[in-house]
Amino acid sequence: MQSFSFASGERKFFGICMIIGVISLIITYLTDDPLNSRFWSSILINASFFTGIAFITLFFYAAKILTYAGWHAQFKRVMESFYMFLGIGLIFMVVIGLGTVFGFHSLYEWNNEMLVATDVIIQNKSAFLNPMWYMFATVVFGASWFFVARQLRTLSLKEDKEGDIEFRVHKRMKVWAAIMLPLGGFTSAAAIWLWLMSLDAHWYSTLYGWYTGSSWLVASVAFLILTIIYLKERGYYPKVTDEHFHDLGKYLFAFSVFWAYLWFSQYMLIWYANIGEATVYYQTRLEHYSVIFYANIAINFLLPFFVLLRNDTKRKKGTLIFVSIFVIIGHWLDKFLMVMPGVDYTTNKILSATNPEAAAEFSRLTIPGFLEIGVFIGFIGLFGYIVFTSLSKAPLVATKDPYLEESLHHHVV
Amino acid sequence: MANSKNVLFGLYNDDDILIDAIKAARNQKLDIMDVFTPFPVHGLDPALGLAESRIHIAGFVFGLIGFITAMGFMSWISVSDWPIIYGGKPYWPVLSFIPITFELTVLFSAVGMVIVFFTICGLGPGVTAKVLDPRITDDMFCIAFDVSNMEENEKAGLQKFFEETGASEINQKTI
Repeated sequence: MQSFSFASGERKFFGICMIIGVISLIITYLTDDPLNSRFWSSILINASFFTGIAFITLFFYAAKILTYAGWHAQFKRVMESFYMFLGIGLIFMVVIGLGTVFGFHSLYEWNNEMLVATDVIIQNKSAFLNPMWYMFATVVFGASWFFVARQLRTLSLKEDKEGDIEFRVHKRMKVWAAIMLPLGGFTSAAAIWLWLMSLDAHWYSTLYGWYTGSSWLVASVAFLILTIIYLKERGYYPKVTDEHFHDLGKYLFAFSVFWAYLWFSQYMLIWYANIGEATVYYQTRLEHYSVIFYANIAINFLLPFFVLLRNDTKRKKGTLIFVSIFVIIGHWLDKFLMVMPGVDYTTNKILSATNPEAAAEFSRLTIPGFLEIGVFIGFIGLFGYIVFTSLSKAPLVATKDPYLEESLHHHVV
Repeated sequence: MANSKNVLFGLYNDDDILIDAIKAARNQKLDIMDVFTPFPVHGLDPALGLAESRIHIAGFVFGLIGFITAMGFMSWISVSDWPIIYGGKPYWPVLSFIPITFELTVLFSAVGMVIVFFTICGLGPGVTAKVLDPRITDDMFCIAFDVSNMEENEKAGLQKFFEETGASEINQKTI
């Protein structure tokens, strides 16, 4: 079957995106406050976002294998190249992890000895919130995901050559998928606590992991839709029809609603219980970040809900592209809203204690500036480059996948 | 339903034969009254050339009514009829209405669609169902033509159509 060729125009496009990202990072670094909080938070926002997308695609892929799903079999190579980004994404997370060990950034309040010394709550949490656990979660959990990702990818390529009626290769893929679901489910929750939730070290929420995971999943499906539509425009995947897009659109719709459900559950319980240490999380966001706070709900829930509610909007490429682009931006803003308030709080606190002049100059970053957007574009370039490179390394359609025929004759209405 | 219809119908053993017969009927420009199957047959709607069902529009409207009912009723209670301050919340704590609003939206939407569906199909408690043949709820597939106002030669044409497309039985019934 057809093989994807990574055209030079695309290389150039992703290259320019990456250059924009690097330039934005350099400018951020040069114009930053003494603790470089804007520089490091910018990396954390994007690294956790794209690593999460790669991780959740792997999780989704494993779930599809185990549930005997067949409709995606045609374009499963796109999902595979998404999760192969894990290797690159985790490098960024490891760099941030090394930062907690060697102290070259101060994103996390629990990692600042001076602040922890007077803080009983964080002292009590320090058995978990410490650089060793952070590194352990990032390296060991991350490596285990990447290992499974490699196994599944290798087996999937092997199936192209050795696949037969006994489905030996596919059965081995099922074993790895069955390992991945519990492994990914439990470890990703712990990784999310450390990477994102511990930015607000005094605060915790028990469904934060679910919430972040669903946010990643929506973004992953949106990227999947955009990539497949683009490949189809280039003439690949002639057998991917409106029926497949309908199902992808349903996923985008369903998980947007799921995300909104978790968002609301988290918000309403905290609002209703009205306990000071819980409400402070939302108080900060409503007070200083209200634009993004409301934009988050409008873009990530109201827009996909009302646009994709009807049957035919899930079958039209125009509406799908429109919603996908907005939802990707929306979930990136959601990550911004998770990271920035905590970082700003910590930075302000450290600067006030050590460097009053810088603290006086320090101002909260309440909406993403051009530099943040530039870094986001840079990460999109990197993600796209890696995805297209992995795509070009293997045939686009897995010809011996046992479910390929089902996917070719997929009908939903 | 005061107007009773005279129906000529053929029974088929298999859903594939049924689909082929429907295609043949549409090629011959025959006016199919209805098709009955014991289970949902894939590809039946496009074969019959049916437009997309509009019942989901009814669902949306009923959902909207449920939303407005829940929001309106709770707002009326807590703002004007019996205002209470509880838990330090404002008189109009709209967030705490959302779970109930959600439930009523779903309830109205679902029940409303069932009522619309039953009304359209003439079903309901106490209504005698007009079943052409009990076997269409078990193992037979049926194509029905309304022959109330038809000439004998047209009926003969339909008979011939059923025979050609492999119907296992051809019957006539007034419902």
